[in-house]
Amino acid sequence: MNSYPPELLVQLAPVMFVAGLDTQAQPQPQPPQTPASPAPSTPITPQTRQDAFYVLAMRLRDALVSQRKVAIWQPEKSKTFQVVLVDKDVPFPPRKLLRPEDPQYSSSHSPLSPLTPSSPLYPDGLIAPIWIRKHTTLVPSVFVVFMRIYESPPLQPGQDEREREAEERKRDSELAAEIAQRKKSTNERNIKLTAVLMASRRMLDDPSLDARLTFIRRQSGLDPRAALFVLSPVSQAEIGDFVRSLQDALYEPALEYYTNHSKRVRRKRNRHSQAASYQLPLSPLASAGIARPLRPEGWTVRYEYKMACFAEFRGEDQVALKHYQDAYSTLLIMFGSTAILPPRTKRWAEAKVLADCINVKIVKLYLYNNEHSLALSNQNSHMRKFADFSRGWGIGEETFEFWSWLARQHRVFAELLEQGTRSTLKIPSAYPTPTPSPALIAAQALEASQIGLDAMRVLGLNPNQALQHPGFYYYMAARCTERRRERFLSALEVGGDHNAPGFVNERKVDHLTIVLELYTRSYELFKKWSPQNMQNPGRLTLWIAFRIAQTYYESGKFDMAVRFFERIAKTYRRESWESLLHPLLSQWYKCAQQLGDVDLSVRLLAEMLGYGATSSADDPDALQEDLLAVLQSTVPSVTDEPLVVDLSESKPIVDAAVVFWDPEVNVGDLAPFQILLSSHPNVSLSSLPFTSLAIHFSGDVPPIVVRHTHNDDDTDIPPVQRIDLGEFVVSPAPSETKEIEGSLRWGAGTTIVLTGSVSSNLPMNVSVSKLVLTIKERSWWIEVPVVPSPSPSPLMAPRWLASVNPPRFVPIRREDHSGVRVHYRSHRVQVAIVHYGPAYLGEEFPIEINVTNGDDRELDIVVDVLLQPTEIDEAVNYIAMDDQRSTSLIKGIACGSLAPGVSVLKKLYLTNTGAAGDRVVDISVQSQSRTPASTPTSPAPTSPTSPTSPVPAEPMSPNAPPMVDRTETLRTISVSTIAPLTITHSTVYKRATRPLPGLSDLRTYESAKRPRDEADAVEAEVTSTLTVAAPAGIVIESVVLQRKDGERAEVADCSVDQDDLAGEWLAGDELCDRCRIYVVPDEDVPEEPIQGPGEYEVTWHRVLPDGSQGAPATSRFPLPPLQPPSDGLIALLDAPTTARLHTPAPLRLTVRNWHPTRSANVTVQLEADAADAFVVAGLRHGRIPILLPGAEESVTWNLIPIESGLARVPRVKVLDRRSAVVVAGQSQPDAAQTEGDEVKIVDVRWEGREEPEGDETGHDGQLVKGQDVYVLVLP
Amino acid sequence: MPPLKLNAVAFVSPQNHPILIRTFVQGQDELKYHYIAHTSLDVIDERITAAMASKSTDCYMNLLYTMEDVAVYGYITPLKVKIIIALALTDSVVRDADVLTIFRALHTAYRQAVANPFLRLNASIDGYNDHATILQAGSAKWRTFRKRVDDIGKAVGAVGIAA
Repeated sequence: MNSYPPELLVQLAPVMFVAGLDTQAQPQPQPPQTPASPAPSTPITPQTRQDAFYVLAMRLRDALVSQRKVAIWQPEKSKTFQVVLVDKDVPFPPRKLLRPEDPQYSSSHSPLSPLTPSSPLYPDGLIAPIWIRKHTTLVPSVFVVFMRIYESPPLQPGQDEREREAEERKRDSELAAEIAQRKKSTNERNIKLTAVLMASRRMLDDPSLDARLTFIRRQSGLDPRAALFVLSPVSQAEIGDFVRSLQDALYEPALEYYTNHSKRVRRKRNRHSQAASYQLPLSPLASAGIARPLRPEGWTVRYEYKMACFAEFRGEDQVALKHYQDAYSTLLIMFGSTAILPPRTKRWAEAKVLADCINVKIVKLYLYNNEHSLALSNQNSHMRKFADFSRGWGIGEETFEFWSWLARQHRVFAELLEQGTRSTLKIPSAYPTPTPSPALIAAQALEASQIGLDAMRVLGLNPNQALQHPGFYYYMAARCTERRRERFLSALEVGGDHNAPGFVNERKVDHLTIVLELYTRSYELFKKWSPQNMQNPGRLTLWIAFRIAQTYYESGKFDMAVRFFERIAKTYRRESWESLLHPLLSQWYKCAQQLGDVDLSVRLLAEMLGYGATSSADDPDALQEDLLAVLQSTVPSVTDEPLVVDLSESKPIVDAAVVFWDPEVNVGDLAPFQILLSSHPNVSLSSLPFTSLAIHFSGDVPPIVVRHTHNDDDTDIPPVQRIDLGEFVVSPAPSETKEIEGSLRWGAGTTIVLTGSVSSNLPMNVSVSKLVLTIKERSWWIEVPVVPSPSPSPLMAPRWLASVNPPRFVPIRREDHSGVRVHYRSHRVQVAIVHYGPAYLGEEFPIEINVTNGDDRELDIVVDVLLQPTEIDEAVNYIAMDDQRSTSLIKGIACGSLAPGVSVLKKLYLTNTGAAGDRVVDISVQSQSRTPASTPTSPAPTSPTSPTSPVPAEPMSPNAPPMVDRTETLRTISVSTIAPLTITHSTVYKRATRPLPGLSDLRTYESAKRPRDEADAVEAEVTSTLTVAAPAGIVIESVVLQRKDGERAEVADCSVDQDDLAGEWLAGDELCDRCRIYVVPDEDVPEEPIQGPGEYEVTWHRVLPDGSQGAPATSRFPLPPLQPPSDGLIALLDAPTTARLHTPAPLRLTVRNWHPTRSANVTVQLEADAADAFVVAGLRHGRIPILLPGAEESVTWNLIPIESGLARVPRVKVLDRRSAVVVAGQSQPDAAQTEGDEVKIVDVRWEGREEPEGDETGHDGQLVKGQDVYVLVLP
Repeated sequence: MPPLKLNAVAFVSPQNHPILIRTFVQGQDELKYHYIAHTSLDVIDERITAAMASKSTDCYMNLLYTMEDVAVYGYITPLKVKIIIALALTDSVVRDADVLTIFRALHTAYRQAVANPFLRLNASIDGYNDHATILQAGSAKWRTFRKRVDDIGKAVGAVGIAA
């Protein structure tokens, strides 16, 4: 922008002249000498007062000047003025050259008019920047003059009031005269004059002030409106307010001023265009001279431009735009004709500048309005049109002038955008904000309608009119400048007129500095506009950086260029854009050459060899020749250590692939491998003097070195060469380096295959960590490490050379081909497990573990056994082996060392209790080789840590464990467990027949060992049946009832005490025992079962398959819990079993009240019948005394049988008088139940009859028999 | 409406490695289009971020930028392969539909190329490498992809899609 006159570019704003605020002539240092101040008549006032006005003036100046900065981009439309500080009596430039008194005045012209011979525009200039300057600095639209109003000092005692007033009047008149003087000159130009009178605060309150002000205004002829202000020293904020109100008040007159100008110019233009021949009378006169007068088109441009400027002053952007466009299009017409504007003249150059500036204005005004595409299309068409013109003018694309001009256009546009983006301009994104919400669409539509985007936007856009951030345009400017330089340089070569003024100027231009500046600006802007979140520099910026580096290179600043190249190359390498790296590397290399940095040159050449950069199939030797030349002609910076060329970030110089044939081998076995080193197809390395190749294996193994042998170098290098490395051992590490000889020369796209076998005596992971190629040439010592890649191309399976001639490869389709796992051979150990299931509960079940060493080494055997926890309730299981016993794990049972072929037998005992079910046992047999395999001193093979090793670090950690030669054999068995015997119980209860002691008996309450008399007890008979379930049968040694007599239950006797149940029993055999128990039910909790007072203890043996007996085992079966029934009121009838005819026999009825709380009122009735076989003596019908709970009463009859045979005893009826009494019936069958009033009568003999009839029938008998009681009468 | 002119096409892998770059302009600096393809990734990244923020799944990235005499457009396939084309810059409206048609054709060409089972002819069995397969598709060995892309380039220049 600096290349254009700033006047033609800046944003115009109304101009305000401010006078009276200039220099208060440093009042501080010389307070008494105030006469020098602009208010000379000011009497000596206190210094503070003086200071207050000084400060006021200073603040006003600052406030006014800071209203607006002169800038090109200033779209704000606030009512602010461009303030110019002037003297009070500043003269305006003359309107016309002649004085107004001159008679020629009306026909004369402004000093700047092309019609005025002394004007710089005479005779055919268009518009000069000086014209703008006149309107921005010499002529204001409003004139504000600040003045002090006279303030008489406070009335002195002796002073006269009138005298004071006269003094004031006099001073005011002087003031008014001064204003009037100024007013006269401003009136000439229609400039609004405003006076601001500065007065002290005291003065404001003075009642006479109004009158004085009116006087001054009248005297000075000021306008009635907005022409006179009074201001007293106020604070900063209030000054701001004042300045704002001042501007508001004066804005209108300012606009009016510029409108008048516009009107005037329009009148002139109209006159002009109406009278096209107006020019003619003058033209002959002018054409007499050399210069021709301005053509009508020129006048149109002039007037349109002026109107545009005045509109811009007024802030009417649209009007200004219209006029600028008119001016511009007329200018184009002028340029279109060489007759109107002869090229390469001064006026032509001026017009070009004007056109460019107008274009900037138009673009700017569009951008103010956010009409990006219009702005861009204007800019583009400007460049296109003038490019066309340029061709006509002979400064087309082949000239540096053209590119210089184009660069300037781009640059100006970029600068405009940059300024704009700093304030209000927004760069639109071509990417539509996706997922438009309805609100957004509406907003966009509104916006579109406002800024007038055409409907085509919906369907697509003109990429030429998509506004981008200024960095792009700076970049374009830089590119144009580069071309400019090219053209200039070619012009230099061609020769020709080197003294043409343009050329001389061009020669002074430092093109590269300009290019650099432009690129740097562009770089910064690209950086600024790239998203912030990315940590790596954007690729766009890298591109620019590359161009900057190139420019540095061109300008000979190679060190700078190298720094740029270094940074750029990183990203390109990472993203493997080889096409971009190639030119970069070659340029970098050139820089290194220029800098004489041989180390860098070598590195770069090596990298270029790796990429095959700048090489082609035609000339594969180019790069290596370069490298050779460097090696032979230079010396390295350091000679005593190698120059390591690390190409790990880029491509290696040769592709290396390591292939092992087997994924894993045993210790001591050979693992064959191949290393394939292939050169790139387009790069020949045939003359590079590789001296050796070192192969580094993982771990502390000394490398294997292949030395180059000089056989006949002339022969062609075969596509595949093979070098045999032989067999070697990596562990234990050999002490010295193995050296082999072979040819290390690659042609274009040839492969050297190193074949060999590796073995290790220790388990480890073997892989090739790196290969180092060494070049030793003269004083150079270069090492190129090559890290073998997993495979040259991920889509190329690694290959295994199968035959050299013809070369044939076998693909190795394994992932872990680049390493081999060496491990110990596993031991041949046989483990046999024998057991004879199922196991029985309670026994020690034997399990045999038979371990046989089938290996040829002596092995230490250790056995671990784990009993898995079961889910069976209450199961407590044990395993036992040797002297160890555990519920879960037995560890480390040593079986000693086994010689080859020897076996060992271990017995494991499994003890199960609880319930039947499966038990799972894990048996682990570990064998460890006795040969202490040359315990290594450095047992740390680093192979598992090697990053290239694809072999996962198996259970062996990098430390000692991998050294242990151990094999583990696992067995799992499931043992089903069953119970050998099962038991079932059945229980029968009987009532006692003995008399109760009754409540009145003290013994009832004695808490003796036996809580009650035996009569209270219920007799329980338990029948237990043991069934043998063991499938193979068992031998029972003894069955014993272990008595555990308790308080409430007591074993009276049992049958096993007499019976011997010992013997061998088979599955399904049943053994039976009967046991009598006295049970005393608990009165308080009759429902509570009473624990059985003992358990059967069965001692038995397993019968083994060989017929022998196993270890004795004991099973225990407790007696069942007892729950005797309880009774209510019950009647027990005791009749004799047999009777003799005619012999009296007793019949006894016992009524017992078992009810815990209720007393019983009972009547007994004997219902004799005529058909009875008895004669009864005794109570027929009677009431028993009331029975308290727990009491009993007996009634006895004598029966005299009169018939023999089975005779029914006369029926006895017992009635409970307590009607509606329901004794809760018990579930027990022999429980008496009163139905209604009748009490159940139980024949006690049924219970007594059980013994002879056996267990099973007793139960039934009680149920079947009713109330009839029979007696067998014998004759 | 003047016909579109396709200057260059670039396919870039999801890891931002170049797959294939073809230029259709005679006598021009081919490197320039490599640079354009590479720098476009910046803008594409930015757009992807914007698209992810708004959960957009649009493949078409619209105009990326204009530089010198080309307008650069971008497209991203659902599997994040980026297709970048450079159209000759003319002062006329470029319809999005036309650009999209070109992109679809290019995408189809790419899909057919990647579907080639012989790309993985020599690959190891257990290591499946998608990225390498994609890159392989653009290598000089496989001519059909290039031919298809070139055909598209020719078709755009000859017919002009503008209906």
